[in-house]
Amino acid sequence: MLPHRSRVAVLVFLLPPLLLYGVAVLLPILQSLGLSLFRWDGITPMEFVGLDNYVRMLGRDDVFWQAFANTLGYLAICLVLQLGGALVVASLLVALRRGRELIKTLYLLPAVISTVAIAFLFRQIYSLDPVGLLNQALDMVGLDGLQQAWLSNVSTVLVAVSVPEGWRFTGLYMLIIYAALMAVPAELEEAARLDGASRWQVFTKIRFPYIRPVWVTTAIMATTYALRGFDIPYLLTNGGPGQASELVTTYMYKSAFSHTDYGYASAISVFIVVECLVAVGLIIALLRRKENA
Amino acid sequence: MNPTRLTVAAGAAATALLLAGCSGGGLGGGGTDPADVAPAGEVEPREISWLLSRPADGGVITTMEQLADEYAAEHPGFELNLITTPDRPSYIQRLETLAAAKELPELFDIDATPFAQKLADQGRMMDAEALLTDIGVHDDYRPAALSYQRFDDGSLYMVPFEFQVELFWYNTALFEKAGVEVPATLDDFPAMCEDLRAAGTTPIALDGQDQWPLERYMAYQPFRASGNDFVRDLKRADASLADPVGRDAVAWIAALGEAGCFQEGFSSTGYADAQALFTSGKAAVYNIGTWELANLATDALDAGVRDDVDYFTLPVTDGAATAENEYVSPSGIGMAVNARTYDPLVRDFLEFALTRYPELYAKTGAISPTTTAETTIPDNATPLYERAVAEADAVGDVSAMPWDTQLDPTSNSRLQQELTLLVQGDITADEFVTTMDATIAEHGAAAFE
Repeated sequence: MLPHRSRVAVLVFLLPPLLLYGVAVLLPILQSLGLSLFRWDGITPMEFVGLDNYVRMLGRDDVFWQAFANTLGYLAICLVLQLGGALVVASLLVALRRGRELIKTLYLLPAVISTVAIAFLFRQIYSLDPVGLLNQALDMVGLDGLQQAWLSNVSTVLVAVSVPEGWRFTGLYMLIIYAALMAVPAELEEAARLDGASRWQVFTKIRFPYIRPVWVTTAIMATTYALRGFDIPYLLTNGGPGQASELVTTYMYKSAFSHTDYGYASAISVFIVVECLVAVGLIIALLRRKENA
Repeated sequence: MNPTRLTVAAGAAATALLLAGCSGGGLGGGGTDPADVAPAGEVEPREISWLLSRPADGGVITTMEQLADEYAAEHPGFELNLITTPDRPSYIQRLETLAAAKELPELFDIDATPFAQKLADQGRMMDAEALLTDIGVHDDYRPAALSYQRFDDGSLYMVPFEFQVELFWYNTALFEKAGVEVPATLDDFPAMCEDLRAAGTTPIALDGQDQWPLERYMAYQPFRASGNDFVRDLKRADASLADPVGRDAVAWIAALGEAGCFQEGFSSTGYADAQALFTSGKAAVYNIGTWELANLATDALDAGVRDDVDYFTLPVTDGAATAENEYVSPSGIGMAVNARTYDPLVRDFLEFALTRYPELYAKTGAISPTTTAETTIPDNATPLYERAVAEADAVGDVSAMPWDTQLDPTSNSRLQQELTLLVQGDITADEFVTTMDATIAEHGAAAFE
């Protein structure tokens, strides 16, 4: 129990950031919740429609469900690239004796490049006419039959817009996981090796359990970032062709600013908040269960 | 705070927000009666703003800047602040956000969309018909230029600043190589594409990324069959794409896709890349307006194709309801005058500018929205330039309305998406019709109540 003066001091220091958080985060969420019960185009009077926006979203709108399915696919690809890629690179980096700093910098570089530049870069990479880097590479290895307009094909476009987002932040998560791996006590690993543990066993029995708290945080960060992913798909394809790369976020943006359907866009934004909370809850529950097992 | 108190506090906050939201929705009308185009009072110079969506170095802006400078010389203290966002989707978002906040400037660009109709209904835009008449320039305008800016009921709230005709530019050498003729009717397009494909040429260069160029093709068959009647009924869900006119249009678009009319990967091809396909001699046809005359009919065009470029106008169909000289002839995005900020100064400046504008604008090599000024043909123009300008002078009174200015925004977005899928063969014509009819029934009918 803190003494009275300390409690006052804690309150004095915590209250301003809490107020700021309330105004910047909680208030807009509550506002969206309120607006989602109305039909409003921004210029004519608002019309109270109750839960109709939610009924439309969940029951009548096939684009929404397509966007949701795409978001899950986008999330899966981003997580594999960001968490899986980061873990592999960080583990290799720990084993490396020279050139670590250079490799870390190279991997981190995409995270500091502007999104627009990345989108432009990947548009050139995926291009068919003029032939982009990917199609050129396929041609060089004799797979010219696979050459195609990656951003125009409904079967490939979702992967094509997910890869830049995954690639972009792999370096950032690699850095976090690398820092955690460096903190694993060397004597523990050494003892395990003396007892005859293989590299795989050292990783699964010692290293990974040790970095689990960092892994959970990284997983939450990567998941929420991917669920809020917007800029690269929007810039690369604007959700197309058709709705093949439409995400819930891009659809929300279009509903608000292209369709001027602010009430419906607010309902989608409430869904995004709930979706993020559920995803974070699932990650925590899943990892706790493993921890207890 | 215990959970009960927290719940009560959250509930109170949400209710307050809802009430605040409700009160924010009750927007009032304009400050000036939209028909009162000659308000009494002194002209008091100040800065006025024009929110516009036009190229920064284009003829409209350079001409209006020149006129504003001349006016400012006579009226010290006056300034015209031009705020341009050439990218149309970004501009529309900006405009709609400012309209929602009731912060629109004195002048703003807007198409004759359902959103503009709502602003007009609320008395937030001045009556352009009355304004142009009062200034004494109304009869100078080309009927087609004014007609493009009118709402369905014939009312006019936007002033045109340009006039264009949209033509099919084609490469005569590539046509000759493939042994094809200029299509006599729209139904000849698929065969033309197949022959060009067989000769190893991309038939039509299309900017699929911006979506409106493909939507133009959707408008062509219905315009030939019924003028603009079909789209005006369709957008209210009073007509269906399953009707014969709609079916023909959808079948034609599907046929264009099957014939491989557009370049592979067209949906991710941007404006400049599509134009480059044509100007580099890779594609045989390119459908674009006379705003590109400087790139297609001057020595700026690649010397390798310069002598091979020609154009044809929108072909007719058997039993067409519209004439050969009637096709897409837009007068560009129009300029609306904000009723809330309208005063003697705005009136005086518009009179000064609009009476001098046509002559100065035509000198930039562009086509004036009025019949009073002759376009100056640039020194570096090819013979096509003069022909295209003459073509604009010969258009009929009915202009094919682009569908993106007609449909409600939700239906329009969906139509653009589904058209790409239809042309790519990812959906069938029947699926297209079912999806679009359902979308328009839900959103179009409500938007035009």
